[in-house]
Order: sequence, then structure tokens, then C-alpha cells
Amino acid sequence: MKLYDYELSGNCYKIRLMLNFLGREYETRPVDFYPGREHKSPELMKLNPLGQLPILEDGDLVLRDAQAILTYLAHKYDPSGQWYPVSDPDRLGQVAQWLAFADGITATASSARLHDTLFYELDVEAARAGAHRLFRVLDEHLWFAEQEGQDWICSGDHPTIADLACFPYVILSEEGGVSRQDYPAIRRWCDRIKRLPGFVLMSGVFPTSQSAA
Amino acid sequence: MSVDPGRWYPIASSSDLPLRHVFHGQLWGREMAVWRADDGHVNVWENRCLHRGVRLSIGLNEGRELRCLYHGWRYANRTAGCTYIPAHPADAPARTICNNTYPAIEAHGLIWSALDPAEDFQEHTLLVGADVLALRPIPVNAPPSLVAAHARSYQFSPTGAGGADVSLIVETDGFLELRSTLGDMTTTLLLFIQPVDAGRSILRGVLTTRPDTPMPVLHHHNRAMSALRDRIEAEAATLDAPDPISVSFTPVDEELAQIPARARSGPKAELRVTVARKWALATDIAGFRFEAITGQLPTFQPGAHIDVHLPNGMSRQYSLTNAPGETDHYAIGVKREPESRGGSACLHETVQQGDVLAISAPRNNFPLRRDALNTILVAGGIGITPMLAMAQTLEAQSLPFELHCFAQSVAHLGFEEILGRLKDAVTTHLGLDPKATGKTLAEILKTRGEEEHLYICGPGPMLQATRAIADRKGWPDEAVHFEYFKNTNEIDDSSAFEVALARSALTLQVPAGRTILEVLHENGVEMPSSCEQGACGTCLATVIEGDPDHQDVYLSAGERAAGKSIITCVSRCKSKRLVLDI
Repeated sequence: MKLYDYELSGNCYKIRLMLNFLGREYETRPVDFYPGREHKSPELMKLNPLGQLPILEDGDLVLRDAQAILTYLAHKYDPSGQWYPVSDPDRLGQVAQWLAFADGITATASSARLHDTLFYELDVEAARAGAHRLFRVLDEHLWFAEQEGQDWICSGDHPTIADLACFPYVILSEEGGVSRQDYPAIRRWCDRIKRLPGFVLMSGVFPTSQSAA
Repeated sequence: MSVDPGRWYPIASSSDLPLRHVFHGQLWGREMAVWRADDGHVNVWENRCLHRGVRLSIGLNEGRELRCLYHGWRYANRTAGCTYIPAHPADAPARTICNNTYPAIEAHGLIWSALDPAEDFQEHTLLVGADVLALRPIPVNAPPSLVAAHARSYQFSPTGAGGADVSLIVETDGFLELRSTLGDMTTTLLLFIQPVDAGRSILRGVLTTRPDTPMPVLHHHNRAMSALRDRIEAEAATLDAPDPISVSFTPVDEELAQIPARARSGPKAELRVTVARKWALATDIAGFRFEAITGQLPTFQPGAHIDVHLPNGMSRQYSLTNAPGETDHYAIGVKREPESRGGSACLHETVQQGDVLAISAPRNNFPLRRDALNTILVAGGIGITPMLAMAQTLEAQSLPFELHCFAQSVAHLGFEEILGRLKDAVTTHLGLDPKATGKTLAEILKTRGEEEHLYICGPGPMLQATRAIADRKGWPDEAVHFEYFKNTNEIDDSSAFEVALARSALTLQVPAGRTILEVLHENGVEMPSSCEQGACGTCLATVIEGDPDHQDVYLSAGERAAGKSIITCVSRCKSKRLVLDI
């Protein structure tokens, strides 16, 4: 299995997290996303005509799009079926709903970060405002989930790929000027994700303490 | 609303503070790091590390200490004092390195604080003893006064169904009491407006009675308050946004951040404590728990001791046995010495539970490194006391260590509760004669592992033996740390010499029969001291020139040979003139 990877990409980080949680060995093919724009090179455009990362090669299969790759990996390599609960229609629907929400986070919080860190030209105020709108929704959702004794975005006592799809650009939001101070339930959820066995860091993501014994 | 530093506001919900989390709060522009220690205590601190100003809200709540994410400075539960600086692993941080804290009260599902409280926290009369329900707080991007003006028109219902009649009962600055009636149902809501900054607020509501099924009620208020927020923010968008409140910080003195501060002259008894508990810990060992009469006891680090001033006029040093974060008391264990000169006998016989004693703030001349790959703690008899503080610190941080306790018998050992918690790390060696003790020590110190450190505390002969064995087994001086109870050396004070104080530009004569420390004090030179018998190291001075005549038990052989330091309460000078860096 080969991951076309850029260390600073939150979307690539989603896949690294998933593979680590599943304990799968994989090969990394580093891509010079910035400043080399290697993702727009002929070699990579052949693999993904959209010119985006990540790209996963597994045997003959070539997949693009972080959420699609998460779906594939969880369904194929998680025999417990917890990360992608295909046998439970209610939870499956919730997962799909929040995967779409994660695309919204990418379009807003990630855009603001691309503007601030990689100098993309875009309307950063609109991107930040959009991120705050989504974070308000996510914080409210997680606050009420906690009231019901639930730790994760979707119901059930195990995290799903919806958590992984939403996490990276939430935890990196401050690099795009989006503070999480007003979202305490999101901040607690981030701590819980960081305590999952197999969790790995990336540049800009900091560790949290061990849970109390 | 204008900045009111004297008033108490809710700044977080209790449910915002699960264990091992740091909440990011703010009041009147001041950011706060809010965290609950494992013992339940809620800390509200200024949200910046004293070292480089990094937010402590991204730090690590380790249950007993909060660790800054940047350079790893550690701060104690309650006191907010720095307990460890990884860049200076062999030093005890100065007690004056202490974060700015704010008061914290947990009540009614909320955490309350004030920047500079004008009076003690007062519970709202409607909330006293009530089973209340804290609502989901709603942050609003609008000035507190605008939020307050709109909050008057907040509409809600006891059941969530429409048609309820809402009336405003009380309104004060930043607070409203609202009552909603529907049929024979009535709900009272206390709505607090937390001033986050000039242009930001948080609506925090509490229902004075907890409904039987809270979830629908929580959802109802969340929807209604979110709608209220939309109206407020729509109006705020038409107004000029106020500038954020500017906050000034007191920078930390660069020198303070580097080295421990020098205490002032002589033994000090700056604290008054009550003996909250006195109990029999083991054969001939009494345990004492001291609590502050008012305020907070100062920060301690593992290895620290206090001077206890006794009713009979004597003063004695005792190591604290506290685990890290146990900052609401000091605990000591006192062995009754058969040849007591009056210190331990007085504590055993005269001092009783409820008594008030004068003690010094903790001093640490026996600091614990937290960067060793393994730490061996060797305790002889009552020498176990500083080892308990060290062992519990290493345990809390999951650092590898072993604690070897030498005692006459189980009955003499004591501290079962703490030793029980440390479990597998503890080995007891009971009833060994000096020869067997030496054999056991030789086994323990057989080979020094990489970056392994040894700490010893116990009676003089055992300490000498352990140091000699460690030396034979190739342990370098800097890896062997020790603390004597007392100096049993025969002090020879027959020499007379001259002491020049280089920084003070003062030359003094030390005659036979007087100590350097006494001469310094008589001439108004500040020099801290504690045991005044050459055991604790408090009165250490740096030697610039001269040949010290070491008579203490504090300095290591290497330190003695280097001739760069002197313990001024007992040691003297072989040459005619001694130049000190004072």
C-alpha cells in the first residue's frame, strides 16, 4: 500500500491516522506540494486528474479523495466493522452525513490555513466565518452527545471515520486564524481523539496528557 | 457594562472540566487556563507560561501538575508555583516563579471567578441548596451591554411548548432573573452575561430547579438562546466593533527564570500553620499534617524541607512527604530520637492536634532530577521521608525508579499507605545489621545503568557506607545525591582568618570560636541559613580565593575537592584569607 503524502496536509493526515489506528503497514511517497506543486505534475495528474492529495495505491486500486480512502480502508481492513459501521444503517447514514460536513470544514478552515501558511489567494475572512459557522454546529452536536454519554460524532461507543474526517482541519484551525476558544466541546473531543491507541501527531498538532488512571 | 474586576462571574461550566483537560476561558480580556486536578481542585490561572508566554490552555493537565507544552515547565496544582524546569534538571526552581492565579469557586454547575474580587463569593439565594440545571452556554460575538439589553426579551417556556408568559423579575449589571409561566408550570432562569472581552460575551443560564427530564429542556433553551444570539449578532454587525480590552502583563525577571532566588538572612518562620492531624505512623514515628490558617501554603518540590519552630524555642528541619499536587497541606514524619536534644521529644510529647506552629517556607537543597533513565532511591530509617516525595513524583510521571527502604522491622517502617500505592517499585530490607546492609547496597549499586541517578537519605554511617560503595562501583559524583539528617562531625573552630566579601567590598575577621555565618549576620550581611550545623546546605557560599577547611556533610567529595563552595555555618579556612562571592 502506497500513500502519496504531504506532511503538512490535513487530508493526508486523515489517512495516516486511519492506517495507524488500523495498524497497517504502508509506504509513503512524499510529494513536494509546496513550493514544488508536484501534485500538479504529469505523473500525479495521471493518478488524480483533480491534482489533489492524498492518493492511495493498494494493489491495482488507485483511489483519490480523503473521505473515499477512509471509507475504503475502514471497510477493507477493520474486521470489527467499528470504524465504518456498514451493518448499522442508522450509524452508516450518520457517518455519510458527517463525511459531507468534513468536506465543508476542508472548504473553510483548511482554506483559511492555506491562505495563512501557504499564501493561497482567497477570501480568508469568508473562509474563517464559514469555519466558525460549522464549528458552532459541531460544538453544539458534541455538547449534546456528551450529555447523552457519547464521546464521538456518530452514536455508539467507538469512533468512526467521521471523527477522523473532521479532526485534522479542526485541530489545525488556529493556523488559519480560527480560534477554538468558543468551542469547548470540540476541544474536549480533540483530547479524546488524541488518546486513542495508535494516535500519531503531525506538525502543528500537539500531544495531550494521559487520561487519569 | 464597564470592566468590573471586583465582581464574580461564571467563566465555565463544571462539565467543561473533565479530568486531564485544560479549558480555555476569558474574563474582561484576560485569558484563563482552567483545569481540574485529579483531587478535584479547580485552578484558574492566567493563560500564559511565565517562561515564554505560551498559552497554558494548550498545556498538559497531568493531574497534579500542569506542564507547559513549549519547554516543559511544570506548575503545581493550587499554588501555581513552578516545580521543575527541564533545562535545569539538577536545580530547584525558585519559589518566586509562580503563575498569576485567579480565585475559583465551583457552585451550581458553574465555575466562578473574578479578576480581583472585592468580596467573598456569595451564592445567589435562589440557588442555595437547590438542585439546579446549568444550560449549555452560548458565546455571542457582541459587547456585554448589548447582550444584556437583548437578554431582557429572552423567551422561553417551562415545557418548551409555546404560549408561555415570561416576566423579568430582577435585572442588575450583567445578570437577569426571568420567570416563565405556562398554565400551572413555572420555571425560573438566572441568566448571567460573562464579559469575555469588549466585543464578546457568553450567555450562561441556570434553572433554579432541575426538570425531571432535562434533555428536552436543554434543547429548548439551546434553540431559544441561539435564536437570541442571532438577533444580537445581527445588531452588533451594524455597530462599530469595540477594540479588544488591552491587557498588560508583568514580564518575568530573566534572572528569576534562570536560578533559584537567594533567601534572606537566617532561619525564617514566615508561615503559621495548624496541626490538623497528629498520628502514630510507626514505632517511634509521629506523623503531622500542617494546614494553612489563611491563604495558600507555598509551593514545594520533591526533596524540600521546612524548618519547624517549636514551643520550646528550638527549630528543626523536616522533609515533606507530600506527593506532587498535594498542595492543601504539608506532611512530615518525625522520629523520636533516643538522644533527643529536645526537638523530636517536644514534637512527640508537647505538640498536639489543633496547635499553631511557626514554620518556614519549603526550601529544597535536595532537588530531584526528572530526566534520569532510572532513579534509585535508598532510604535508611526515617530517611524515607524525602524519598516518599520523590518516589510519588516519579510515579505520577510514570518515570522508572526503585525505592529501597531499610528499617529495623515493618513496625518501624511506617507509611504503609503511600508505600502500598507505590507497590512494585518498593523493596523493603528489614532488620539487617551493618554488614548485611552493606552487602545489600553493593548488590543494588552493582552496575550503574545509563543516566541512572542515586538518591540517599538516612543515618550518617549508612550514608557514608552507601557513598563509599557507590564510589567503588564506579558511580560518578554527579549521579550520587544525598541528604544527611545531621552533621555528626566534631567541629574544630579553633582557626582564625579573614573573610573578604568580593561583591560587598567588605573584609571581616573570623576569630576562633565564631562561625563565618555568625560574623556575616553580625555585620548585617544577608545570608540564609537553616540547620546551622553543616547538613542542609542552605548557607552555601561561592569561594573565589582561599583554601576552605570543610567540616560539613553537605558537599560531595568532588565539590570539596573543587574548592569552589563552602558551607558557612561550620566550615572555615586553612589559609589566612578567604574571598567569597557575596
